[in-house]
Amino acid sequence: MRYLSPIFIAEVICFIAAIAIIWKDKYAFGKVITCYLGIALVTEEAAVYLAIRSIHNLWLFNIYIIFEISAILYGLYHCIRAYTNPKPIFTIGLGIIVITYVFFLITKPFTDLNVITISVMSVIFSLYCLYYYYLLLKDESFVEIKTHPQFWWVSGVLFYYFGSTMANIFDGLFVVKIIGFITLKYTIYVLLNLILYSFWLYSFICRMKQQKLQS
Amino acid sequence: MQNETTKIAILVAIATLVFLLMPVFLILYIRSYARHKKNHFLEKQNMQQRFESEMLQTRVEVQDQTMQSIATELHDNVGQLLSLTTLTLNSININDGEKAKKKIDNSLSLVNKSIKELRELAKLLHGEQLVENGIGHAIDQEISWLNKAGAYELKVNNQLVDLQITSSDKDLIILRLLQEIINNIIKHAQATHIQIDTFLKNNVLHLTVVENGVGFNMEETKAKKSGMGLNSIYKRMEMINGKLALNSAPDKGTFISIEIPYP
Repeated sequence: MRYLSPIFIAEVICFIAAIAIIWKDKYAFGKVITCYLGIALVTEEAAVYLAIRSIHNLWLFNIYIIFEISAILYGLYHCIRAYTNPKPIFTIGLGIIVITYVFFLITKPFTDLNVITISVMSVIFSLYCLYYYYLLLKDESFVEIKTHPQFWWVSGVLFYYFGSTMANIFDGLFVVKIIGFITLKYTIYVLLNLILYSFWLYSFICRMKQQKLQS
Repeated sequence: MQNETTKIAILVAIATLVFLLMPVFLILYIRSYARHKKNHFLEKQNMQQRFESEMLQTRVEVQDQTMQSIATELHDNVGQLLSLTTLTLNSININDGEKAKKKIDNSLSLVNKSIKELRELAKLLHGEQLVENGIGHAIDQEISWLNKAGAYELKVNNQLVDLQITSSDKDLIILRLLQEIINNIIKHAQATHIQIDTFLKNNVLHLTVVENGVGFNMEETKAKKSGMGLNSIYKRMEMINGKLALNSAPDKGTFISIEIPYP
């Protein structure tokens, strides 16, 4: 039963939608995000498997965040480049994240959760999302927000990473159980993941509508 | 200690909720902004459509004017010349060699005059293409046509003939404005003297027409909101961000000055 967590179910739905809709898209963005969802799915289940067998699984998340950083950065890069050349700011952001990760590798054992990199990348991703909104508002051409896939994809990212800021900062300080073994931290992450995947799913649906209109 | 942890947990839960509410408000703001942008975009599109339809109307009016001039010219001038030629040729008596020769010479001269008139007409048919050659040439053509009537003493200072820059939409509107003004003078003014000045200064095209006709009461004409195509002139001037100064009084003639940002 533990294998079928709400996060896993949301990921499976999103992954299937990604394969069906954006995998065959002309942009590399579709393939990158689909692969990332596949990796997230495998990581989630592998982590549960290790947890059931009482094997330490934080190292797995430390590997997973490398894929997470790459995929989300690429996704944001894809969305922002429609308005401006984002290479300089993305190089700076990537540089900061890499330095943080290396700093973690030097100072902490790999079996600890890389909280510092997760916190830093959350802030950087949130800033990129806000920058995307700024460019969207500044742009002279008009886009229908309601059906704009990039907008909803970025919004999902903003909700997830901006919303998880507090939980990241206070990680380890609170392990309050709400019902049975379910902690508040877990509840927050489930909620955030559900928001993220719902937004992404909607974004894929918007993309499907766009594809139909273009064909 | 347990109490402290619970407090932190509640704090984190509330803070997370606040952090989640912020993107919600942000999305709502963007949605509302996008709606305004959409309205603005639609309004702009609407204006563009109105402009295009007005341009089409102007083009049709210019063509109409050309056709009218051609019809008048064919009827009043070329038609008369050819009728006279037929009459002359019909009255030839081949037995009277000397008279016949004179009449044939007269007929030849009439036919040559007709050919010349037809050439002039052909030029007029290319009126719209003249706009493409530059507004100066188009104005020149319009004035020479007016001059041909011989009913007016014309004083012309057209400095736009050598103008190197063009603006196709504006050129067409300017030509139509001039046609409209000339039509009004012919139909209503009873003028004997017309002065036309055109020049470009600091990227502003100036067109001034002064005539000594019967003039009109400006207040009355404005109140009527009709006649003399003034409304259409004002509307078109507004469309190309132009300024129009009109001054007239009964028996005092009319002064019209047009300033248009150009190109």
